[in-house]
Amino acid sequence: MSEEIVKIKGSKSGLKLDFAQGADFASIERDIRGKLESGSGFFTRGTVIQVSPSALRKGDRDRLKKLFSQHGVLFRTTDPLQELKAREKKQAEKQKAVEKKHEEEVQQMVVVNRTLRGGQEIRTDSSVLICGNVNPGAQIIAGGSIDVRGTCRGVVHAGANGNTQAFIVADKLMPMQIRIANLIARAPDDAAPEESDNAERAMIRDGQIVIESIKR
Amino acid sequence: MSEVIVITSGKGGVGKTTTTANLGAGLAIAGKRVALIDVDTGLRNLDLLLGLENRIMYDLIDVTEGRQPYKKALVKHKKFSSLYLLPTSQVKDKSAVRPEQLIKLCEEMRPEFDYILIDCPAGIEQGFATAIAAADCAIVVTMPEISAVRDADKIIGELGRADKNNIKLIVNRIRPQMVEKGDMLDMEDINDLLSIECIGQVPDDELVIKATNDGKPVITMEKSMAGQAYRNIVRRIFGEQVPFMTFPKEGFFGRLKKAFGL
Ligand SMILES: Nc1ncnc2c1ncn2[C@@H]1O[C@H](COP(=O)(O)OP(=O)(O)OP(=O)(O)O)[C@@H](O)[C@H]1O
Ligand SMILES: [Mg+2]
Repeated sequence: MSEEIVKIKGSKSGLKLDFAQGADFASIERDIRGKLESGSGFFTRGTVIQVSPSALRKGDRDRLKKLFSQHGVLFRTTDPLQELKAREKKQAEKQKAVEKKHEEEVQQMVVVNRTLRGGQEIRTDSSVLICGNVNPGAQIIAGGSIDVRGTCRGVVHAGANGNTQAFIVADKLMPMQIRIANLIARAPDDAAPEESDNAERAMIRDGQIVIESIKR
Repeated sequence: MSEVIVITSGKGGVGKTTTTANLGAGLAIAGKRVALIDVDTGLRNLDLLLGLENRIMYDLIDVTEGRQPYKKALVKHKKFSSLYLLPTSQVKDKSAVRPEQLIKLCEEMRPEFDYILIDCPAGIEQGFATAIAAADCAIVVTMPEISAVRDADKIIGELGRADKNNIKLIVNRIRPQMVEKGDMLDMEDINDLLSIECIGQVPDDELVIKATNDGKPVITMEKSMAGQAYRNIVRRIFGEQVPFMTFPKEGFFGRLKKAFGL
């Protein structure tokens, strides 16, 4: 059995071409043209054809590309190493985008110039500044941090998209429930919450929500 | 200039209808032309409190549906000649009157009256939206207990969403002894949470119930503490600065008992 000049192998991302050792371009081209025109069913429209860049010279690659495109087939040169790199780069960009989003969440701020009353809710990916109180029955869900310039008695969730750096500050922090990222702390069932004269901040430390008084 | 005031509460049974009847009577006694509109369809009782039940010919639905002009449906009070009631229907359900219908009606009535008070149904359903639609300002009635105050808070939020930002508070049925013992919210707690201007602190008063049975508002009873509180509210509506009443706390014996730990 004589060796085929052009071998076709299936791969994850399409079909891959291998050329017989020492085959010249003219015969390669002839072989492919024959396959395309015979309608063997290998190259249906929209198929992606890949070939290792080392297998062909630049000028020949371009000619093949043209030939394939006449038949509606996509022709690409591939380099496994490069592909890996590209994938890694994409991943890194994605990671960066997530980090950037967290940063933006913290930087962007929704400002509310009133008291949030029972039954009212604010949902945002950014941070929230409330110039007023957050009453019982009110709820804030923020991707970033939450700052209440007043008394906070409602339910507050900072870092709702998973940002564990997010925090919650209030002049008087006595909420029903505090959530940061995926952690939850709630008011004690008995006894009135102890009142602090200072503003307080809730944040995650060592995997726990902690509350400390701050000056502002 | 006429003023349309809606009396609302969130939680039911806190004294909206009692407040509407008393303020209406008080404003009329002060010589103002007053119309009370009962929007609490199906649960009519403003007419009862005013002793006008037997005089009703037509109701609010007859007017909004265009079957009668509003003047024909108005019931004039027996004693206060400038006080009128537009009663609600006792049969139709609460969605029977639409907001735009009430707005139109109030616009029509404004030239004839100094004050139009609207008695709102409890809750925040369709009836609420209708009742507040025409109002220039709102009076939120609450009681010194957690659930009533929470509901008042929600109602204030809803009023804000409807762009009604002129909101006043009346705290009804205060029992000084209970407040003193810490069993009832005090005014500081309530103001702290609701943070709107309070124009009335009405004590719990048996005479309110007696007055209801007699069909004449307690504001006419000289000796009633609640009556006095309502009279003060009327003056505050006129813009007067009236200090809040101090309620007699525990009597001498009460304090004595406490001293002996009884
Ligand atoms: N200051 C008061 N002292 C004693 N009883 C009172 C007082 N105010 C209201 N009440 C009583 O409380 C009950 C409820 O009052 P009212 O009907 O005015 O409430 P409402 O808010 O209009 O109720 P609804 O939501 O059912 O319309 C009545 O029986 C009334 O007599
Ligand atoms: Mg009522």
